[in-house]
Amino acid sequence: MENNVSDLVVGLMMAVFGLVGLFLVAGAADAEMYIFGIALSGFAILFDLGLIKRYHDRRDEARAAARGNTHV
Amino acid sequence: MSDHALTERPVVYNDAVVKKFVVASLFWAIVAFLVGCYIAAELTWPTLNLGLSFTNFGRLRPVHTSAAIFAFGGSALLGTSFYVVQRTCRARLFGGEALASFVFWGYQFFIVMAALSYVMGFSQSKEYAEPEWHLDLWLTIVWVCYLLIFLGTIMKRSEPHIYVANWFYLAFIITIAVLHIVNNAAIPISFYSAKSYSAYAGVQDALVQWWYGHNAVGFFLTAGFLGMMYYFIPKAAGRPVYSYRLSIVHFWTLIFIYIWAGPHHLHWTALPDWTQTLGMAFSIMLWMPSWGGMINGIMTLSGAWDKLRTDPGLRFSVTAVGFYGMSTFEGPVMSVREVNALSHYTDWTIGHVHSGALGWVAFIVFGSLYYLIPVLWNRKALYSVRLVAWHYWIATLGIVLYIVAMWVAGIMEGLMWRAYDKFGFLQYSFVESVVAIHPFFVIRLLGGVFFLIGGLLMVFNVFMTITSESTERPRERLIAPAVLAGA
Repeated sequence: MENNVSDLVVGLMMAVFGLVGLFLVAGAADAEMYIFGIALSGFAILFDLGLIKRYHDRRDEARAAARGNTHV
Repeated sequence: MSDHALTERPVVYNDAVVKKFVVASLFWAIVAFLVGCYIAAELTWPTLNLGLSFTNFGRLRPVHTSAAIFAFGGSALLGTSFYVVQRTCRARLFGGEALASFVFWGYQFFIVMAALSYVMGFSQSKEYAEPEWHLDLWLTIVWVCYLLIFLGTIMKRSEPHIYVANWFYLAFIITIAVLHIVNNAAIPISFYSAKSYSAYAGVQDALVQWWYGHNAVGFFLTAGFLGMMYYFIPKAAGRPVYSYRLSIVHFWTLIFIYIWAGPHHLHWTALPDWTQTLGMAFSIMLWMPSWGGMINGIMTLSGAWDKLRTDPGLRFSVTAVGFYGMSTFEGPVMSVREVNALSHYTDWTIGHVHSGALGWVAFIVFGSLYYLIPVLWNRKALYSVRLVAWHYWIATLGIVLYIVAMWVAGIMEGLMWRAYDKFGFLQYSFVESVVAIHPFFVIRLLGGVFFLIGGLLMVFNVFMTITSESTERPRERLIAPAVLAGA
């Protein structure tokens, strides 16, 4: 339960950061801000994909454990 | 541990994030030592600048300091604090896996982006606070999440008592947040530009910067690592803390006094004399609480001194406490205005900083990690204790070479800069002092290379500990993933 709430809150937070990164890239006045914006967006996307992967990994583990229990 | 704690169901700790921080800490240690050696070589042979803006000393120096303090030291602090707070509170990290993961990756993202920005030439020109406003904001978000996890874990603890290591870690987290936010207050020229101007001007800016700078030493490099000391030395020695009462007394005195000592960085400047004197007086008072920690760390070994012969990891920790005592004696001496007149702007300061950074910070991290790594990866022991001993002696020799060379070079510089001839003219030009210290720069580089070699030995040893079959526990003795408190 705690993990699901954490995933949701952090996932949404990262989505907002990803959007902020895109805005920074779009209006960047110097190379530093351009690179930071792109990197922030990329980081946010990868992080959220990681969250989705871990969520499904946990579900697969739970399913496998349930199946194992049934067989025993 | 209380009796009722043993009867409750075991807590499954979040060790995944601790492991990631440990690996990151070792990675950044090598980066920091490598860049340190390179810029030491640049100072010795300036042609190594290569004529490129990206590789000049001014841009690589903050890469070295940030990699050493925030990346290597910071990753070790965050990782061990997560480990310690879970064990001593008997509670899993607050906020779930995602928040802990965000703190790890967000912190690494900050480090990489900061290093990139230094190399590209973006800097606030504030020592140890070089990143521009957008990176400062990002670090603030990560740090608040870190505080949330740490505080939340303490609040949901199963143990009634808050162990003293957590007090030190908490002081480190809260104070660094305050220092970071206040010192980095700045107005960007545009939301889309990395360039900003400080909210302060002139001597006020300098005072705020050194209030931050000195307390970064006090709370990042001292309080945090004292937290590490208070958990890992008793664990490795198998002894309780020598005096718990002393730990509480020196905690509160250290916290109260450190925050006032910053103005000693601005002796003989436009800062009012009374403020300089205030900083000097508090710096001298700081000697006692600092030595309170040193005495407590060393005396914890009472009855277990024999372990120093057989456990080189513990030897690292105890030597670290010795270096802590030495550099916290040297610091107050250097803060005396008359001594500072000789030492300021010379390489004596660099020697002092490195006796603390290498001798105290790096050694206490090495000692703690040598204890922690087999526990985290559930290995029966380290791959090679002999390699740890080699690491210890090579690194110690490196530090001795480094700090002795810098003491000699620094005092010589100070004396040459103030020497007058019989006509009242300066006896030496600046470049003559540079030529005079050149041999000591070579010795300093040699010391740094020794330290780097020691670090590489550690990385090899850790890698083999984690992967080698020889360190695997016998199958029947494998510990279940749910680790009981106190493990």
